[in-house]
Amino acid sequence: MPANGFVALLTLVVDRVERTLAWLLVLLMGVMVVDVTWQVVSRFLLRAPSSFTEELAGFLLIWVGILGAAYGFRTRAHLGIDLLVSRLRSGARRAVTILAHTVVVLFALSVMVIGGTLLVRLAFQLDQISAAMGIRVGFVYLVLPLSGVLITLFSIESIARAIAVPVER
Amino acid sequence: MDAPVVLLVVTFLACLAIGVPIAVSIGAATAVTMLVTIPLEPAVTTTALRMATGIDSFALLAIPFFILSGRLIAEGGMAQRLIDFAKVLVGGFAGGLAYVNVLASMFFGTISGSAVAATSAVGGFMIPAMEDEGYEREYSVAVTMTGSATGLIIPPSNILIVYSLASGGVSIAALFVAGYVPGILLGLALMLVGAVIAKRRRYPVAGRPGLAEGFRAFLRAIPSLLLIVIVMGGIIAGIFTATEASAVAVVYSLILAVPVYREVRVSDLPQILLKSAETTAIVMFLIATSTALAWILSYENLPQDLAAFLLSLTDSRVLILLLINLLFLVVGTFMDITPAVLIFTPIFLPVAHELDISSLHFGIMMVLNLCIGLCTPPVGSILFVGCGIGRTTVARTTRALLPFYAVMVLVLLLVVYLPWLTEALPRLLGY
Repeated sequence: MPANGFVALLTLVVDRVERTLAWLLVLLMGVMVVDVTWQVVSRFLLRAPSSFTEELAGFLLIWVGILGAAYGFRTRAHLGIDLLVSRLRSGARRAVTILAHTVVVLFALSVMVIGGTLLVRLAFQLDQISAAMGIRVGFVYLVLPLSGVLITLFSIESIARAIAVPVER
Repeated sequence: MDAPVVLLVVTFLACLAIGVPIAVSIGAATAVTMLVTIPLEPAVTTTALRMATGIDSFALLAIPFFILSGRLIAEGGMAQRLIDFAKVLVGGFAGGLAYVNVLASMFFGTISGSAVAATSAVGGFMIPAMEDEGYEREYSVAVTMTGSATGLIIPPSNILIVYSLASGGVSIAALFVAGYVPGILLGLALMLVGAVIAKRRRYPVAGRPGLAEGFRAFLRAIPSLLLIVIVMGGIIAGIFTATEASAVAVVYSLILAVPVYREVRVSDLPQILLKSAETTAIVMFLIATSTALAWILSYENLPQDLAAFLLSLTDSRVLILLLINLLFLVVGTFMDITPAVLIFTPIFLPVAHELDISSLHFGIMMVLNLCIGLCTPPVGSILFVGCGIGRTTVARTTRALLPFYAVMVLVLLLVVYLPWLTEALPRLLGY
């Protein structure tokens, strides 16, 4: 069926994106460890506390937190309640699952993609500059729309798969 | 309650019911409430801004590092050494393995700062071991879960860091120190219940290892136990901040796991970093949307209204404390501990201050209360992991948990109504 072919292709693309995202998270997390360890070392051993490590660590945490959240949607790691949904018959369950994914898409699009983009634009317009590293804060907020797009992509793929799989009787 | 708050609660519950993840349910409820309060463009921008700034805190950085060191400890062979040591200490009593399990889960929850990590690391070994000796599986799962929850109150503890943030800067070091007495009390109470049940069911004595072997087990556990000494000693003595201590914990556990114990290969590290990033992100995403929700609640004046309402009901401190704790117990059953702390601290801390309850006492009482919720259905992160590890159902485990719930609530009441249990130790150390 061509519809199933489309779903398979979508899944293939999403798998690729997931793998790239995974490596990016490993990198961000690794840099965060090195960064804060360096801060401890510079404060205690070198007696010359580094000024930018603390700020960089905070920015990295925002990126790991928001971008990792998108990864969590792909791996279904987020906490939720399936108590009611799991009691439904399979047809109704599919409908409710699709509805739940749709709520996620609406949230990701409105708050993270649109709200996030407006926030990034605002930060660039006000020319907000970070105190220690002197980078534009808009770049930090960029993670919100980026993650929003990924969450939308992952959720749409979940919806497509739910539709493509035939309902069990 | 006015219309926006009703809308918020209804949206949140509707989202939860259809299976939307908790973090998104919180975020969606916030966004919908903002939309009816302020115009569209500032509403979505403000929600986005609150989410980003919610995570932007140096204190929160301790959380990913404690998660990472917890994972390194779990996979790095330290869990086994702690279990062996616990066996030496308490294995000789009737139902010995139950004691060992509680103690090992406490050690582990303490060292890693994560109850979920403790449940899976200790439970993965202890539950099959207990089953081999004839313990009912659900009983073993219940013991592991409640023991691990105790580790959340005994420092270092990520949730106390979250509370420090939510309360507007109660000292993390003071909170950590305050957790010791209630946490150890809870652990002892759990062992007591475990022992009574074990005795009634005639569960076997595990057999204490001989003196020489016991001493060897102690020596082997020293490097793992030393981690607590370095982290907590450093924080209490004021050498490290909690974040710096957490980074030291990562480096220390990395050295133990990779070159010393050789249980983790360098090629395993990317996967460990990824899993830690994922766990971190789940917590951070909850913090992000909960911060936005707390903001809109205070914008709607809810904390003040609710405080006035509660204080108008009765001026009995005992009754109000009871009401608040009942509410937390109910909320804790279906809400994860992180959003609960972030949302309810700004609402109820002012009430607590009105009643002359210190921020320190309130925080420990709240976290202890919500820990019980982590082991109760329908939602409980420890419950889910515990049942998964023990390959059993939530319903069967819940029945086995009943006596443990009872004693946890009892300890909670003690902590609520005897403030010195929480406050004496921090005061002694000069916080």
